[in-house]
Amino acid sequence: MTTAEMTPELDGSTPRRLRLPFSGWHFVLVPLTFVLIVPLIWMVVTSLQTQGEANRFPPVLLPHHPRPANYVDAWHTAPFGTFFVNSALVALVVVVSNLVVCSLAGYAFARVRFLGSKALFMVLMATLMVPFQVTMIPVFLIVKWFGDHVSPYLGINHLGALMLPNLATAFGIFFLRQFFQTVPVELEEAARVDGTSRLGVLFKIVLPLSMPAMSTLAALTILTSWNDFLWPLIVITNQDQMTVPLGLSYFQGAHQTNWPLLMAGNVMSLVPMLIVFVVAQRHFVQSVAGTGLKG
Amino acid sequence: MIKRQTAWMAAAATVAALALAGCGGGGDSTSGGKTKVVVWDGYEDAQGKNLTALIAQYNKEHPDVEVTQLVSSSDRVLQKVLTAVRGGSPPDVAYMFGSWAPNIAKIPQVVDMSSYVKQPDWKWDDFYEGERQAATVGDKIVGVPALVDNLAIVYNKKLFQEAGVAPPTPDWTWDDFRAAAKKLTDPSKKQYGWLIPADGTEDTVWHFDAMLWEAGGDILNSDNTKAAFDSAAGVEALTMLQDMAVTDKSLYLDTTNANGTKLMNSGKIGMLVTGPWDLSSLPDIDYGVQVMPSFADSDAGHQTIAGPDNWVVFDNGSARKQAAVDFVRWLTAADQVRTTSLASGDLPIRESVGSEASFRRQLDQNLSGSSTFVENLSNVKKARPSVEQYPAISEAMGQAIVAVLLGKAQPAQALADAAQTTNDALSGG
Amino acid sequence: MAGRWRRLGRSESATGWMLVSPGAILIGIFGLLPVLMALRLSFQKSDLLTPDTPWVGTKNYRQLADDPRFAEAIQHTIVYTALFVPGTMLVGLLVAAALNRSVRFISVYRTAAYITMAVSTISEGIIFLWLTDKDYGLVNATLNTVGISSQPFLASTSQALYVIVAMTIWGWTGFAVIVYLAALQGVPAELHEAAAIDGARPFTRFRTITVPLLSPASLFLVVWLSINALQLFDEVYLTTRGGPLHATTVIVYYLWDQAFVQFNAGYAAAMAYVLFVVSVLFTAVQFRLARKYVHYS
Repeated sequence: MTTAEMTPELDGSTPRRLRLPFSGWHFVLVPLTFVLIVPLIWMVVTSLQTQGEANRFPPVLLPHHPRPANYVDAWHTAPFGTFFVNSALVALVVVVSNLVVCSLAGYAFARVRFLGSKALFMVLMATLMVPFQVTMIPVFLIVKWFGDHVSPYLGINHLGALMLPNLATAFGIFFLRQFFQTVPVELEEAARVDGTSRLGVLFKIVLPLSMPAMSTLAALTILTSWNDFLWPLIVITNQDQMTVPLGLSYFQGAHQTNWPLLMAGNVMSLVPMLIVFVVAQRHFVQSVAGTGLKG
Repeated sequence: MIKRQTAWMAAAATVAALALAGCGGGGDSTSGGKTKVVVWDGYEDAQGKNLTALIAQYNKEHPDVEVTQLVSSSDRVLQKVLTAVRGGSPPDVAYMFGSWAPNIAKIPQVVDMSSYVKQPDWKWDDFYEGERQAATVGDKIVGVPALVDNLAIVYNKKLFQEAGVAPPTPDWTWDDFRAAAKKLTDPSKKQYGWLIPADGTEDTVWHFDAMLWEAGGDILNSDNTKAAFDSAAGVEALTMLQDMAVTDKSLYLDTTNANGTKLMNSGKIGMLVTGPWDLSSLPDIDYGVQVMPSFADSDAGHQTIAGPDNWVVFDNGSARKQAAVDFVRWLTAADQVRTTSLASGDLPIRESVGSEASFRRQLDQNLSGSSTFVENLSNVKKARPSVEQYPAISEAMGQAIVAVLLGKAQPAQALADAAQTTNDALSGG
Repeated sequence: MAGRWRRLGRSESATGWMLVSPGAILIGIFGLLPVLMALRLSFQKSDLLTPDTPWVGTKNYRQLADDPRFAEAIQHTIVYTALFVPGTMLVGLLVAAALNRSVRFISVYRTAAYITMAVSTISEGIIFLWLTDKDYGLVNATLNTVGISSQPFLASTSQALYVIVAMTIWGWTGFAVIVYLAALQGVPAELHEAAAIDGARPFTRFRTITVPLLSPASLFLVVWLSINALQLFDEVYLTTRGGPLHATTVIVYYLWDQAFVQFNAGYAAAMAYVLFVVSVLFTAVQFRLARKYVHYS
C-alpha cells in the first residue's frame, strides 16, 4: 500500500514504491463502497423476491426463485410512465431555475458589497430553519392563491404547484456563495478593471471555474426534487399529476406493505438518478490546466 | 427601490393569503354535466383493485355521476385531509381511521350522517355494533363503516406440535395461554411464545384494551370524565403481560413494530394476537385462528376489540353531497360488502353477510382462518371512548404499558400515573 | 488606472440588489411568508380542523417552558446534533479524500457513494433495524464473537439515540462526500507538489494545506448539517416512533406528534419557533467563528 497517494495522480501512473498491476487503493475503495451500498443491494434482492420470502425476518439474502416479473407488476400497478414524466418535468424546471437564480444571488453575496446584504442573507437562511411540517399549510394556501389569481397551472393539483415553492432555495444560494468565494478574486478584478460588468464577470470568469460546484448543486437539486414526497402528497389530488414517490406509496397499505413491488419501484426510481450522477460526474473534475491560474 | 418592491409584493401576498384562509369553496361541481364525487382512500393491492372495479361499475350504472378515486398513503391521509380542509378543497369522501372520529366530528364540512342512515334502506343496524360505535361521536354520526376487524390468536400449528402443546381452544384462559407461551419459548432457537407491538402507540394499547375488558374493566368511566383503567381489572391484565414479558420472557417485545409478521412468517413466534390483515402475510406457515383467551376469574368472556374505519363524507355543495351520500350507501350495501370482502379478504361490515354460512366458507377458501375472525365479531362488546382527548389517553396508556413490559415500572404505579395524566386531559388541560 | 481600481472598491448597491432580487422574491414569498404565517399560529389554539382558532397569546410558549417532555426533546436533539455533525463531516472527508484520485473505475466508486443519497429512508431504516436486531443482527453477531453479549440497540432507552446517530451518519455520508469532492477539485495540485518537494509527508500536507482550503466547504457542511440535525424527523418516525419510552423523541418528532396526532397545532407551531430561534442563534455563532477559521483563497 502506497503512502504517496494523497495527491491526485492526473496521469494515472502506478507509483514507484509498490508494484501492483492496479492501485492499492482498490483495497480500501471496494470494501468502503460495499458498506455504503448495502441498502441498495438489499433493495435489489428484495425486489426479486416473492411476497412470502420478503416477509421474513431475518431477511432472506438469496431469493430461491428470483422473480423479475415484480418489475413488470410494479410498473403496471399505476401509471408509472406518467409519474416518471411528471417527476422529470418538475425536476428539470426546478434545477434550471435554481442554477440561474442561485448563481446570481450567490455571486452577489460572495463578491458584491451592497447595503443590507448581511441582513438579507441571514433572513434567507432563516427560511431553512422552520420544519416543513409547520410551514406546509401556509405554503399550500399561498400556492392555492397563485392558482386562483395568476394561473391555474401554478395552483393546487398541477405540476406548477410542485415547481413554484422550489424555484429558488436558500440552500442553493448558500452553497454557491461558499464556492464562488474560493474563485481567485484577482481574476475577477482584472476583468472588471477592463470594463466587464458584474454579470459578465459571473458568466465569463466565475461560472467556468465553478463547474464542480454547479454540477454538484444540479445533482443535489434534482435528487431533492425527485424524492420529494410530503409536498406532492398534500398538493396533488389527481392521479395524472402524481410524481414517482406518490406512485410508490401505492404499495404501502395501512397494515401491509408489498415489499417486493415497493422495492422494484424504488429501484426503477433510482435509475434516472444514477444516470444523472454518471453524467454530472464528468463535470466534477476541474480541469486546472485551462484556467490560467497561477498558484 | 428594489427593497420596497419586494416589501410591497410580500405585503400583498400576505393580505391575500390571510383573506383566503377563511374562504371555503367547493371547486367546480360538475365535469361535462356529471356530478363529481372525489374519493380518497389508502388502499393497496387487492383492496385497491376492488374499489377501482366497484367505482367503474357504479359509474356505468349511474351515467349522471362521475366517481373518481385518489389513492394516497393511508397514515398520511390525515395530513392531506387537514391541509385540504384548511385550503378549502376537501374531497367528497375520504377513508379515515376510526380513532380520528372524535376530532373529525369538529370539522364543519363533515356531513352528519344521522338523518341519512336512519332511513330504512340503509339498514344501519345491520352494521356490527362496534362499527356503529366508532362512527358515532355524541349525537353525530360522522361516517359510514368502511372496514372492520378484530383481534384473535393466530398460532403456528407446527411449533405447537413440536413443543407438545395442545392448540388453543375456544375455552382457553390466560393462564393456559401463559403456560403454552412458556413451553413454546426456546432461547437457543431464538423462538418466542408470542409477540406484541411495543412501540407505545395505539397498536400496543389496543392489545391491552381487549385484555382489560376481558378482566371486567373499562377504559373510562360511564360519562367519560375519569380514567377507569387503573382498576383491579387493569392491574390484573397488565400484570399478566408483565409476567410473560419480564418473568417468563416468553413475550417478544417488538419495540419498533416492524418485524412482528415477518418473524411469525419465519416460524420464530408461536402465537400472534393480531387481526385478519396479517393472514395473507403468512404464506410460509401452517396457521390456525382462535378467539382470545379469557380470564378465569372474570365473567366478561372472550371479548375482543375492533378497529373499524369510516367513510367520511364532506359537504361540497348540495349536489355533490347528495351524490356522495348515494355512492357511499351503494358501496356499503350488502351486495358490494360481499364482493369487497371476498375480493380483499377483509371482514364483511354487515352482519347479514357475515352470518351467511356459504359466504364464510368461501372466505375461508380464499384465506384460511377468516371465518373465525368473522365469528369473533360477536365478541366485540365494547368500544374505545369517542372523546377528543383520546390521543392523549392513548399516549399515556401506551407509555405505561411499555414501561412495564421493559421492566422499568410496576403495573399498579404505571397505571395510576397514566390515570392521572388522563384525568388531567379530560378535565380540560 | 488608479482611479478605475478605486471605483472597484465602492459599494454597488444597485447591482447587488438586482442580482439578488429574483431569489429574494421567490424565497420571500414561498419561504419567509409561510414562516411568518406559522408564527401567527403559535399564538393561537388550533387543532387544524375547526376554523375556530382563539388567540391565546403566549400561553403556548409558557406551557412549553414547563413541559418536561419538551425539555427532554431539546436534550435529545442537542446530543444528536453534537454527534451527528462532526461525525458526518469526518466520515465524509475521509471518504472524499479516498475518492479523490484517478485510479481506474474511480467514477464507479464515486457513483456508488452518491447513489447512497438516493436510497430511500425506508430502506435505510430497514437495514439498520436488521443490522442492530438483538437476535439476528450482524452487529450483535460480531460482538458475540468477541465475547460481548447481545445489545438491544434500538429497543433500549439508553442506546437507541446513538443507533439513530449511526444510521443518519451513514445516510448523509454521500452528501458530505459530494460536497467535499467538489471542494477538493479546487485544491491546486501545484501546492501539494511544492510541499512534497519541501519534504512534507502526505498526512501533514493534508492537514496543513488541504483541510484549510476546504474550510469554505466545511462551513457549508457544518451549517447545513446542523440545520438538518436540529430538524431530524424521518428516521425517527420510520424506526422508533420516538421511543422506546421517548428515548429518541427529538424536537420535530414531538412537534409532529402534537400537531397531527394530538391535534395541538398551535402548540406545535410554538415549538417550531423555539427551534427556529435556537437554529438562528446557532448558525449565527457558526458564521462568527467562521471569520476566524474559514479561509477563502
